[in-house]
Amino acid sequence: MAEKSLPDDTLWGNVFHKETRTENNIYKVLAGIPIFEDLSRKELRAVERILHKRTYKENEVLFHEGDPGVGMYIIETGRVNITLGKEEKLLAVLSDKEFFGEIALLSETPRTATATAVTESKILGFFQPDMMGLMETNPRMGNKVLLKLARMIGDRLRFSNLENQQLKTKITKLEEKSSRKRVS
Amino acid sequence: MDLTIGRFLRLLIAFIVLGIVGWLLYSLSTIITIILLSALIAYILDPIASYLEAKGMSRTSATVIIFLLFFLIIGVTSWTLLPGLIGELYTLEQNLSLEDTSSLSARIESFVSTNLGFINVKNLNIEEKVKNGITMLTDQLLTMLAGLISIISFIVIVPFVVFFLLKDGRNMKKAFIHFVPNRYFEMTLNVIHKIDQQLGWYLRGQFTEAFVVGLLSVIALWLLGVQYFIIIGIFAGLANMIPYVGPVAGAIPAIAVTVIKGDDPITIFYIVIAFAIVQLIDNIVIQPFILSKSVHLHPLIIVFAVLIGGQFFGLLGMLLAVPAAGIIKVTSSELYEGLRKFNLA
Repeated sequence: MAEKSLPDDTLWGNVFHKETRTENNIYKVLAGIPIFEDLSRKELRAVERILHKRTYKENEVLFHEGDPGVGMYIIETGRVNITLGKEEKLLAVLSDKEFFGEIALLSETPRTATATAVTESKILGFFQPDMMGLMETNPRMGNKVLLKLARMIGDRLRFSNLENQQLKTKITKLEEKSSRKRVS
Repeated sequence: MDLTIGRFLRLLIAFIVLGIVGWLLYSLSTIITIILLSALIAYILDPIASYLEAKGMSRTSATVIIFLLFFLIIGVTSWTLLPGLIGELYTLEQNLSLEDTSSLSARIESFVSTNLGFINVKNLNIEEKVKNGITMLTDQLLTMLAGLISIISFIVIVPFVVFFLLKDGRNMKKAFIHFVPNRYFEMTLNVIHKIDQQLGWYLRGQFTEAFVVGLLSVIALWLLGVQYFIIIGIFAGLANMIPYVGPVAGAIPAIAVTVIKGDDPITIFYIVIAFAIVQLIDNIVIQPFILSKSVHLHPLIIVFAVLIGGQFFGLLGMLLAVPAAGIIKVTSSELYEGLRKFNLA
């Protein structure tokens, strides 16, 4: 027997269709986030249940520099500016399926920059208490997320070390150059 | 001038709001007690549900299993303890009947005159005081009987509320956070988490301690052959929640019963020793394990909380006063800390 599908023009058809589309969108967004990469669809559904879905208006601040950080934000749709200091120096412009603030999942450190929605943005929030809860109720899944987070931070640390090393080499070279100049 | 009127109006509004809150608290005392009690039970059972969830169960199955186990324990406890408890209550009622009052007071008077000679027995007027006390107790018992319907509804409603709080509590919390404006959202989430962590330790600690002290007291009093050992033991466990006064308040009924019964005065000494040992076990073994992150409440605050709880919500209010004071303290301090950290205070 052929499965009857609900026509799009009926109320129920619209409601269900919209729901599925929204869910699919969230799964696509979540699947693209590195810390959720290793999760199955079933596990992603569990993550989706604990995420906080928020809508921010144009120019609405998500968090201020110096605020205690509690977790990460994922942009479902929209654009977010990351700025630094009172002069609002633009550090990055993030859009769909991008994320920020993931370090706050591990420790409650002050936010290092301000995040402001440039357009109306649908944001998903994944916070430390939710991650702790996940580790408590579903340790397998919690471990996967935590391991991914640790790898991500490890990679970033390695990258920063490399950058540091390069900068140090540059400084040493510049110092050598200037001392040679002084001698000659 | 304007400033004074403005300040007066603000003060007036504050008083009116406070009055309305007080009136609402008083009018809705039964509902508030049900919610508070249910929330407390759900809170204490939550780690078990989370543990079962971690073992692969769904939240609903975990809640159902906890409930089945809970009712099984209640059933077995009732089956084994209830006959003894009813027996104790029956004999207590018999002993407190008006006919026995004279002999009872005579026994107390003779005990006082032989052991505590410095007290003038005639000034004590024990017989009249006991008679008045018994009349008051009988009146209270009648009121309690009249409130039997509400007790039954309590027994039915509380488990019902606990079930849904345990099963859907997390979703309820999420739904509440959903309605918080974006500006306060992250702070609210953080504050709720902190309160949750602190209260979790505190409430579970308080109840575990009360349970262990109660159990040890029941065993000790049973070994010493003290009458009404179950009731007194349970009372000692609950009274233990009140610092300093609690442990003494727990021992007093046991000593009083021994005096009234005219038992060997050496039993009083044994009771004191037994309660001292229970306290020692509580301080050395139990407290370091379960109250390592407890909420520090000043004893005076606890005493006032118990009095206010009794005034507004009766006996149950007195029992719930200590955890309620803990909840208020943690919530207000974490809320203030959160507002301060997020530059909102």
